[in-house]
Amino acid sequence: MKKHPRFLSLFLFIGVFIFVIVPFVPLIFTSLSFGWRWPDVVPQAWSLRAWEYVVNDGRTWQAVGISLSIALIVTAINIALAIPAANALMRYPVRGKWLFEAIIFSPIIIPPFISVMGIHLTFLRLGLTETVLGVVLAHIAPTLPYMFRALMISYQTLSTDWEDQARMLGAGAMPRFFHVVLPHLAPGIVAGASLSVLISLSQYLITFIIGAGQVVTLPILLFPFISGGDPGVASAYSLLYAAIAILTLIVMDAALRRYYQRNKATKEQAKGVKP
Amino acid sequence: MSDLRIIDIQKRYISAQAREENPFMLHPVRLAIREGEFFSLLGPSGCGKTTLLKLVAGLLEADGGELWVGDENLTNVPPESRRFAMVFQQSLLFPHKTIEDNVAFGLKMQKVGKQQRLKAAREMLEHVGLSGFGSRFPDELSGGQQQRVALARALVANPRVLLMDEPFSALDPGLRQEMRELLSRIQKEFRVTVLFVTHDRDEAFALSDRIAVMGEGKLQQVGSARELYERPETTTVASFLGLRNILGGVIENGHFASSDKIMEAAVHLPLSDGDYFMVIRPEAIKASENGQSGHARVRGVVQEMKYGRGIYSLIVKVRKQLLECVLTIAQAEKTAVGEPIDLFVDMKEVWFLKE
Ligand SMILES: Nc1ncnc2c1ncn2[C@@H]1O[C@H](COP(=O)(O)OP(=O)(O)O)[C@@H](O)[C@H]1O
Ligand SMILES: [Mg+2]
Repeated sequence: MKKHPRFLSLFLFIGVFIFVIVPFVPLIFTSLSFGWRWPDVVPQAWSLRAWEYVVNDGRTWQAVGISLSIALIVTAINIALAIPAANALMRYPVRGKWLFEAIIFSPIIIPPFISVMGIHLTFLRLGLTETVLGVVLAHIAPTLPYMFRALMISYQTLSTDWEDQARMLGAGAMPRFFHVVLPHLAPGIVAGASLSVLISLSQYLITFIIGAGQVVTLPILLFPFISGGDPGVASAYSLLYAAIAILTLIVMDAALRRYYQRNKATKEQAKGVKP
Repeated sequence: MSDLRIIDIQKRYISAQAREENPFMLHPVRLAIREGEFFSLLGPSGCGKTTLLKLVAGLLEADGGELWVGDENLTNVPPESRRFAMVFQQSLLFPHKTIEDNVAFGLKMQKVGKQQRLKAAREMLEHVGLSGFGSRFPDELSGGQQQRVALARALVANPRVLLMDEPFSALDPGLRQEMRELLSRIQKEFRVTVLFVTHDRDEAFALSDRIAVMGEGKLQQVGSARELYERPETTTVASFLGLRNILGGVIENGHFASSDKIMEAAVHLPLSDGDYFMVIRPEAIKASENGQSGHARVRGVVQEMKYGRGIYSLIVKVRKQLLECVLTIAQAEKTAVGEPIDLFVDMKEVWFLKE
């Protein structure tokens, strides 16, 4: 029990280091350098030019705001859609259950490019292109399946006995949902929401086609710099993007902990008192 | 008086797979449970006890029948408004709430103020012997303690009826005994009406004022433990209560003759002629006549001897029939497995039933 985990954790650490940390190093160097070229291993000259550009450009923060708003609205809609859907499909003997599941999962099986062309045509007719609402609606397709899947698993482990018990204590439908169902679903919701936020944040193609350049999210802003050849600014944007994604995950995790009101410290404390 | 009256409540499960031959059916049940009574539903697993309990709770919708408490018709009242409480086999404590908040939950649903409901919760925890555990979380309690909390939580809002579905069957025997005593004490203290489900005969006998024996979706017989044990109405009830000495036979002119001809004796009860089953409680069989009259003598061979709590329990083979009887240690020491033995059946203690 001692040797193996230590060996394993070292292995894991090296893996994380190589595949997660190391790729960031050149990004950091590029964003902070001035003309860093082969064969220099380390940049010869340092500069804050790229960061100054990124931070001082009003479009950056607007894009961050729009990206985050879209991601959060999409996620909120996903939660509102997935809870009743998962509830119905897991709790009731629905006929043709597989068909509903297939429809919900199809956006992640069919390439997004194909569906987005059809969506684009429809949205053109409805006047939803070039609007944030249109982009939000288009983002639901590739994100909802993950939220649905996470909630389906949460529902699978929630026996109806719990709700029956709450009912027998006088809880109506709303209190039952908030006191029994929601706490049980919370980890699933956070898992689904994390995926939903990350996938929405990283959408380029769908945003580009539906938003038609009028809805400028971070990936839309970032793309010309990568293809247009300012690697310094592109690196700074990439790092900003990564920071926002990581920050969102951390905030959501913290929210879950707060929701349960029992972080590790209080639990340990309570355990300590136990005779 | 607010008695609980179950009037012809029935239920047939509609099976998901339509091909299933005969889905379970609970035949119409009619029962009146007095206020403050401890009433048990006793029956083998799968006989429909949980189904009936959930129908009373309202968690299952009945196909027909009515439910009344006093002069209030609760048939169409949803479970959360019936002011019933229920304790399940698992304690089902809400894992993210403290013990105190769990116990106070029912009062919270009734919009009782926070201070007041926590005070009530603490008092109730004291009643079940768990004062000082209030700020813990359910996973920091043992199984028995969790079930005590479940009991406290059920009682805190002063329910009209407490429904319990095999609440102690997941506990080990010693703990079960302790919980029975606790429940019995608390039930008398709060004078709450209890409808208790169990498949354990001893549990039902130890706790109940009255018992309904269930079998195959029907109420078989209702009565006190003693009535059921000494005067069962059917062989099903008799054998479920552990009465294994059942002899088929005929009564003619006040005389019983068993069909396998192992015994013949005068009947002490005024019964008309016909086919009967004679039920002999193990205690009604003695190893010596004691100079009293009215004993029927049978001769058999001891097949099995088991010691249990100060007495011996014997299985004696009389021709093809096995008879179970209990002997004192002194009597048992005079015999051994494989030896012939004379048994005397006290005819004043036997019971006859038709079918
Ligand atoms: N939801 C259901 N659908 C169909 N049949 C059921 C359902 N619940 C229970 N049954 C059947 O009804 C019978 C009685 O079940 P139950 O009331 O739980 O028995 P008990 O509590 O006495 O063990 C069983 O045969 C069981 O298979
Ligand atoms: Mg049951």
